[in-house]
Amino acid sequence: MVASQQGSQSQGQGGEKKWANESLRPITIKQLIDCKEAYPKAELAVDGLPTTQVTLVGQIRSINQQTVNVTYRIDDGTGIINVKKWIDADKADSAPSFALDTYVRVYGRLTTWDGRKHVGAHYIRAIEDFNEVNYHLLEATYVHLALTRVAEGGEHQQQGQMGAADGGDGMFVDDGYGGGGGGGGGADSHTIRLRLGPCSRNANAIYRYLANSAGDAQHLNQVAAGTGISVRDILAAADELVNQGLIYTTENDETWAILDL
Amino acid sequence: MEAVANPRITCAYLNQYVGKNVIIVGKVMQLRGEEAIIDADGNVTAHLNREAHLSAGNGVQLIGKVNPDLSIKVLSSMDLGTGVDYDLANTVVEVSQQYRSLFVYD
Repeated sequence: MVASQQGSQSQGQGGEKKWANESLRPITIKQLIDCKEAYPKAELAVDGLPTTQVTLVGQIRSINQQTVNVTYRIDDGTGIINVKKWIDADKADSAPSFALDTYVRVYGRLTTWDGRKHVGAHYIRAIEDFNEVNYHLLEATYVHLALTRVAEGGEHQQQGQMGAADGGDGMFVDDGYGGGGGGGGGADSHTIRLRLGPCSRNANAIYRYLANSAGDAQHLNQVAAGTGISVRDILAAADELVNQGLIYTTENDETWAILDL
Repeated sequence: MEAVANPRITCAYLNQYVGKNVIIVGKVMQLRGEEAIIDADGNVTAHLNREAHLSAGNGVQLIGKVNPDLSIKVLSSMDLGTGVDYDLANTVVEVSQQYRSLFVYD
């Protein structure tokens, strides 16, 4: 009985839907198995960021064909999860058939049903080039690090916490502006982190530069000199930050300051 | 949904995984009947099952159990053809050992 009440939890509920949560995230199946709701009926969160749209790769371990849907058990070496593809009667090959043990890429939506997680697939295709599997695993790691490192940069960088094993992190996200001052600090840092999460890496670097630089506003040329990012990329990234409400333009369109929350 | 991981490893990690199921990606160096030598950042001896169809020079993905003598008892194998980037596969192993929270259950 409890289970049937939980059933329809994943959708609807809160009126406010953030587009940021809909960004597609590459993940390993273990991340899906480990992820939890922040509180009951909240969206599932990976690394503290609500996650719905995911892409994963894995081998098909079993196929359960039913009249309205097909359930695949997908194994990527880090865990096994059920992927459900609904059959569209109007389209001939909406549920293509795969041989067992084929590597496939899945694009889908993470959902819970009866308290169990599965992925509702939008699209499944066979992987032709095996290197895509390894590429995906690296991409999932990269995204994980980019998101968690930004979180640490925004608060205070706690190098010691991650232990010696993380020594080689530099290859993924450079910590150039991470140390020192940090972003908003205190209660605001969580909000900032959530809003910076979906932004590009350049945008994160610029935000950190602005947060750590003396004086209120910084001109395009100062940002370019300080971050080493090209002028064109800075303009694009600054647009992102302005749209997120994290920074604002001051004297002219090419001078920005951090919007204090 | 199952929390069962087959860690991706190379030759160097064999002794840490004795008795466990692992995934090894490497190049088939030699085929000797029921036995094969696979190069996965070092040579690994694999005891094949009946269904295995390997060809020398091709890449292969083996899923199997690590024996006490550090050979592999193959449970399933998959031919990967010739276009496999072995450096990439080895890098994935290193990365998965470094960021264990994404890949394996401790």
